Amino acid sequence: MRLNPDHFWTYSEWLFEKNALRDGAILSVTLALLGFVIGYIVSVLKYGPSEGFLRVSQIIGQLFTVDLPKLSFRRIYAMAKLAVKESIRKKILVLIGIFIVAMMFAGWYLDPDADSPARLYLVFVLTATNYLVILLGLFISCFSIPADIKNRTIYTITTKPVRPLELFLGRVLGFTAIGTLVLAIMGLLSYVFVVRGLDHSHELVSIDPTAKSGESTYNNRHRHTFTLNSEGRGTTNEVKGHRHIVTKVGDKVVIGSPIDDLTARIPIYAKGLEFTGRDGEKNEGYNVGYMSEYQKYIEGDSLSRAVWRFEGVRPNLFRDVILYDLTISAFRTYKGDIVTPVGGLIHFRSTDGKVKSEDELFKVKEFQVDRRSVRTKLKGFKQNEEGKDIATDLDFFNDIAANGSFEVVVRCQDRGQYLGMAAADIYLRPADLQFWWNFVKGYISIWLQMFIVICFGVMFSTFLSGPVAIIATVAALVLGFFGFFVDNLVTTTSKGGGPIESLIRLPTQMGSQIEMELGNETLQQVIATADRGILLAVSQLKNAVPNFSQLDTSNFVAYGYNLFGGLLARHLTIAFGYFVLTALVSYFFLKTREMAA
Amino acid sequence: MATSLDQENRPSAHDNDPTQTIVETRNLGKVYRDFWGRKKVQALKSLDLEVRRGEIFGLLGPNGSGKSTTIKLMLGLLFPTQGRVFVFGKEATDVSKNERIGYLPEESYLYKFLNAEETLDFYGRLFDIPADVRRQRIESLIKMVKLEHARRRQLKEYSKGMTRRIGLAQALINQPEFLVLDEPTTGLDPLGTRDMKDLILRLRDEGKTILMCSHQLADVQDVCDRVAILHQGELKELGRVDSLLKIQDLTEIHASGLTDEAKNQIREIIEKSGGKLDRMDNPTTTMEDLFLEIVKESEQRPGRRGGRGGN
Repeated sequence: MRLNPDHFWTYSEWLFEKNALRDGAILSVTLALLGFVIGYIVSVLKYGPSEGFLRVSQIIGQLFTVDLPKLSFRRIYAMAKLAVKESIRKKILVLIGIFIVAMMFAGWYLDPDADSPARLYLVFVLTATNYLVILLGLFISCFSIPADIKNRTIYTITTKPVRPLELFLGRVLGFTAIGTLVLAIMGLLSYVFVVRGLDHSHELVSIDPTAKSGESTYNNRHRHTFTLNSEGRGTTNEVKGHRHIVTKVGDKVVIGSPIDDLTARIPIYAKGLEFTGRDGEKNEGYNVGYMSEYQKYIEGDSLSRAVWRFEGVRPNLFRDVILYDLTISAFRTYKGDIVTPVGGLIHFRSTDGKVKSEDELFKVKEFQVDRRSVRTKLKGFKQNEEGKDIATDLDFFNDIAANGSFEVVVRCQDRGQYLGMAAADIYLRPADLQFWWNFVKGYISIWLQMFIVICFGVMFSTFLSGPVAIIATVAALVLGFFGFFVDNLVTTTSKGGGPIESLIRLPTQMGSQIEMELGNETLQQVIATADRGILLAVSQLKNAVPNFSQLDTSNFVAYGYNLFGGLLARHLTIAFGYFVLTALVSYFFLKTREMAA
Repeated sequence: MATSLDQENRPSAHDNDPTQTIVETRNLGKVYRDFWGRKKVQALKSLDLEVRRGEIFGLLGPNGSGKSTTIKLMLGLLFPTQGRVFVFGKEATDVSKNERIGYLPEESYLYKFLNAEETLDFYGRLFDIPADVRRQRIESLIKMVKLEHARRRQLKEYSKGMTRRIGLAQALINQPEFLVLDEPTTGLDPLGTRDMKDLILRLRDEGKTILMCSHQLADVQDVCDRVAILHQGELKELGRVDSLLKIQDLTEIHASGLTDEAKNQIREIIEKSGGKLDRMDNPTTTMEDLFLEIVKESEQRPGRRGGRGGN
């Protein structure tokens, strides 16, 4: 899992500095204007210019003068309760049964040899729940109002003092309630499934009484080794993403339940990462030729180094040991001794560089999290007045990180090899969040996606028939999922041009690498302009639908990272934005629709 | 045989404020169009009528005459393509007018998965009625439509008559001033029909205004104060029922205990005065009256077969 810079934005940073509020406002105004213009055109066709304008203005005016102020919670509650009853009597809860059956057979398909069974289990339950709940939201929301119109039960609703917004809100709240119930049950079942599925124990096979080390039995396709301290306590080595606590009680050695497999790390990330080149001068880091721009590289056995700068690290978060994780990768320019990993050196230093710890050697653990620690009382160097390093005992928070700021310096040890790193590849681990709470946060993410699907489903069903509303909602989801692709199309000059140009290139078998030659400059200009217009429209449309790939935070849970509160708050805001948007569109359609037509 | 049309539209004796108009349509028209906006059918043409407070107004007409369209326009379920409708002085599309309206649709379009209590509770909430008032009304309405025994059964298990009755109950949950009944007696047995008609008259006597449309001409004749007859979307006749049905040049005499001699004398008098005797024999009752009498007798003396009529 890769954390992108945008994951670290705080809520206010995202809202104001990254212009989320501004973009949201622009989108709202654009859609409102577009809605007004379309509504006016339709109205003019029906009633003529002046009467049409009057009607559209009336609808907008009534929203603020009557329909919003006179919303009744009792009516909304009644509609919501009806939606819940309807769903339950239509046996929606059978879905939970399907989910249980899926989990019963999941054991057959989940690879027992996986490196990280916890991740596999979590990805499975989160993905299965996500899809099932989104499908549920899709079907219950898209068919309800069309069914009411078809059965004409809508006659008995709209002839009561029910306002259009109440019709929308009632449905959305009702379906969200039933979805929440289903999701909560699935979440509970999933939690039990994961915890029970991962739980196992080992017995002792052998122990060396002098070295106090031993080996466990082979269970669940792995075995552990362990070492005990003088008090008879210790942990096993890490296999398949977990360890066990080992204690010696009398003559008996007890290997406990797995730990560290279900975690929710709260990482403290560096504020910045800087590189110096082989000559000791600052640079952007070396590019080793990978397509990905994520990590930059430093060269081995040279002055090249990576420096992370940490700020605001409070001493009270740590006791005697500072835990930190490394996820550095290696790039070999020669094969060398392939069994021995590429080595690196790491030390901590004060921001003015006058105090630093001793270099510690590490071996790169590719594709794994290297769990490391440094003691708060450590050996290192202090510069004297002449600028010479004097070896001395140091206190991490008094000497190195005096005001909570310090730097971490990494060098590559092996000549000709490279180490790759990004800003998020080192983080401190003060304390872990309770796993269950992170799990709940993951489910809140799924809930938000379901909520948005329901909003869109109900919105489309106010003016489309059930099946068409489903297609429209799915189309919106797909557009959201592939938002980045649309962005690429619009922002970069993709080869082969826009839709019209591509349409010409395809039958004429014109390769995408060459310039389009139609022999008519004006025509080509027209096509290029039209293509730009279409792409711009699609990109605007894309902004009006949620980017579901961004809302999916299951990886945070599966990979054991705390799902940042700021990120969740952003997603909540986005969901609320779409809720308001869909409510307004639904209001407009319900207000102008003839229910008996 | 000529009928007279009462163009004066006089209010009936029991109107509490006959000058007040509950519904008014002005030059009302509706054209149904297809997806492309092409005219499919003109369902209603320039309809002008008024429904006044306290009366039972009947809309009559064959299938496709525009009755349902008129009702839907009044309720705001359809929008007029020409003219306007006012209900309680407000545009028909104004939702707030619905506070004072009760509507029984043609086929009691209710949620089949709810039971009687839930149905009434649901519609009660839609009128924003507080819980205690709602409970009271649900009790009295269930009793009124005689569904006490089936109050907890889902509507999908109801017979057509029961569905009609719960439909009427939901239309009355807000104690409306104006009731719109679309085919109120459809699907009811003669007993149910009679009950429904009695109930409609009782509601009128309580001061409610009622608009009903029906194919059952006898029902319309029995309960309506005024009727409008529509055909092919046009208003063909509008007036008081008793005036519309009165045949001016016929005289009806009902007498009992006459001897044959007396009957002959009557014939002679008619001839002498230049009149023409069309018919003079023993009248027959209506099938409805006969049926109701038999049922009533059967309830009083179960197991006996009535001795009317020959073989």
